[in-house]
Amino acid sequence: MKKSIIALSLLMTLSPLSAFAATAPLDLVGPVSDYKIYVTEEIAELVTQTQAFTTAINKGDLATAKKLYAPTRVHYESIEPIAELFSDLDASIDSRVDDHEKGVTAEDFTGFHRIEYALFSQNSTQGLEALTAKLNTDVNDLKTRVDGLTFPPEKVVGGAAALLEEVAATKISGEEDRYSHTDLYDFQGNIDGAKKIVDLFRGQIDKQDKVFLAKVDKNFATVDKILAKYKTPDGGFQTYDKVKENDRKALVGPVNTLAEDLSTLRGKLGLN
Amino acid sequence: MSSPTPQPAPPSRALRWAVAGSVVVMIAAGGLFYYASQLAASKRQANHNEITVTIHDHACEPNALSVPAGRASFRIVNRSDRAVEWEILDGVLVVEERENIAPGLSQVINANLLPGDYAITCGLLSNPRGTLHVTPTAESDAQAKAKPSMVAFIGPLSEFRVYLSGQGSALVKTTTALQHAIDAGDLGQAQTLYVPAREAYQRLAPAAQRLAELDNAINARADYFEHREQDPAFIGFHRLEYGLFQQHSLDGLAPIAQRLVNDVTALKQQLLAQSLPPEQLVNIVVRNLNSLADVRAASGEEERYSHIDLNGFAANLQVAHKVVELMRPLLSKSAAALLPTIDSALAAFDSELQGFKGDNGYARYDSITVDQRKQIADKAKALAAALDGIDPALGLSGLQ
Repeated sequence: MKKSIIALSLLMTLSPLSAFAATAPLDLVGPVSDYKIYVTEEIAELVTQTQAFTTAINKGDLATAKKLYAPTRVHYESIEPIAELFSDLDASIDSRVDDHEKGVTAEDFTGFHRIEYALFSQNSTQGLEALTAKLNTDVNDLKTRVDGLTFPPEKVVGGAAALLEEVAATKISGEEDRYSHTDLYDFQGNIDGAKKIVDLFRGQIDKQDKVFLAKVDKNFATVDKILAKYKTPDGGFQTYDKVKENDRKALVGPVNTLAEDLSTLRGKLGLN
Repeated sequence: MSSPTPQPAPPSRALRWAVAGSVVVMIAAGGLFYYASQLAASKRQANHNEITVTIHDHACEPNALSVPAGRASFRIVNRSDRAVEWEILDGVLVVEERENIAPGLSQVINANLLPGDYAITCGLLSNPRGTLHVTPTAESDAQAKAKPSMVAFIGPLSEFRVYLSGQGSALVKTTTALQHAIDAGDLGQAQTLYVPAREAYQRLAPAAQRLAELDNAINARADYFEHREQDPAFIGFHRLEYGLFQQHSLDGLAPIAQRLVNDVTALKQQLLAQSLPPEQLVNIVVRNLNSLADVRAASGEEERYSHIDLNGFAANLQVAHKVVELMRPLLSKSAAALLPTIDSALAAFDSELQGFKGDNGYARYDSITVDQRKQIADKAKALAAALDGIDPALGLSGLQ
């Protein structure tokens, strides 16, 4: 008697999982295209703001250049799953000093982090003309290439996990923006980019696994709440060295869980 | 007053033995753990045919890989002193990658690979690129010949929806500009702005024509109304065209323009809300080209007051180009024989229209002779016929 009740309740718990049909491929067309529209808008912002950022540098306005560095690159960070598909541009726009054998003196060390080094470590806007020109060319090139790219659906859906892995690997340690310590902007950019993907596919995920969705939402909320503590009145963030040790630790759990959970998204939506 | 500071007592002999003992246990446990993890690793390797690639400071080992097509697993071991990445590249495009592999650790990359030659980025950007040769298998050969699955259309259909969104915005923008010129009482400006608004519409026309009622409000010709031009129900672009180019007057056009702006805004929204199945993506273009070939080219009826028909035809042709570009990867894979016919039909129609283009844009359609109109119709017909081969070749109507 008791056993059969347990068996019955177990059956009732499990049956919804099997009752749901797999996501119909055509149901993914709306979210994938909306994601491209989002990425397109973000890149338009990246292009415009990079222009303003580099103009400040070329005018020798160090204070403005420093102020614009983080809010400009956040538009790159939020769309990394797509931007990273172009390996040559990803290297020239966003490579870090560690990627280069010769470090800061490497000829091909260009892009945001090379400029970050000059602005924040050397406190100088001098001699950056070639680097600023190249950055503008590169972000424009990225825009053209993304416009012409048919987004691979598995890269879009897989992008949510890729962004969280990025956070786990480079943001919590504070190594991404090691000269400016503006890591929290990138952190929020990665999180927002991942949340956007979850939001766009929310309807389809909800049909497949409500419990999963609730857990993901909760972890996003936890991360956002901790990040919000470090927001400044101008809408920016404090530098990463201000983040308390207990908050860094408190971020690790939800970020790793999100990375792990979101890595199952492709499978859930039938894109493996 | 102060309490005496407690002095650390010298460690007793027993404690020292205990510490030594626990160290021995830890080493033993560590050894056991190492053994177990090695065993697990070797099992993993055996089970999944994992290929181990070791990243050294200046190169990967092995640096030249060859695997059969299909699913492959690579275990990337980072023996360099920095966190690095490993990527499989097809040209400049990343097929799969793993970033931030910490020094001393390893990560697994799973990839589903098609036959071909790929490059590998390996650690530092200055390190030499590796090679990955993916050999065809019986299964991959069969897959290459097989018709695509529904999943393969998510990308092209999404991209077409992005196109509809962009062109829809352009239509709203150009129509609003036309309305402003009419509201401002500027006949010359309104005549000028009618052209880009119509071009924007014609870049959406194949999709818009699925929405019968809304499309009639936007694009119906006078013939569809009992009292033709005098019929109060005659609205939309062609009512504006009649006023601007036939009557040379803005009288009564302001409310028509306002309504048109509302209707094209609704059109954009509805186009994005509609689901377009794969067979329709090609079919709507075929229908649009057939209507061009069968009716519009000969009669010039669509823009009978402004005679800007050629602008519309060119815009229709742009949609055909767009759809072919979206289908091209699938066609190359599963129906490559169709592509030369399609491409030459596109090029023939392109050059036909190009012949009527001067410094001030396309010629007025009332200057196009009967023979020339027949040429235009023939080119459109040939393109429609070529595109009609896509559905059976890819099995669009019977997709799973």
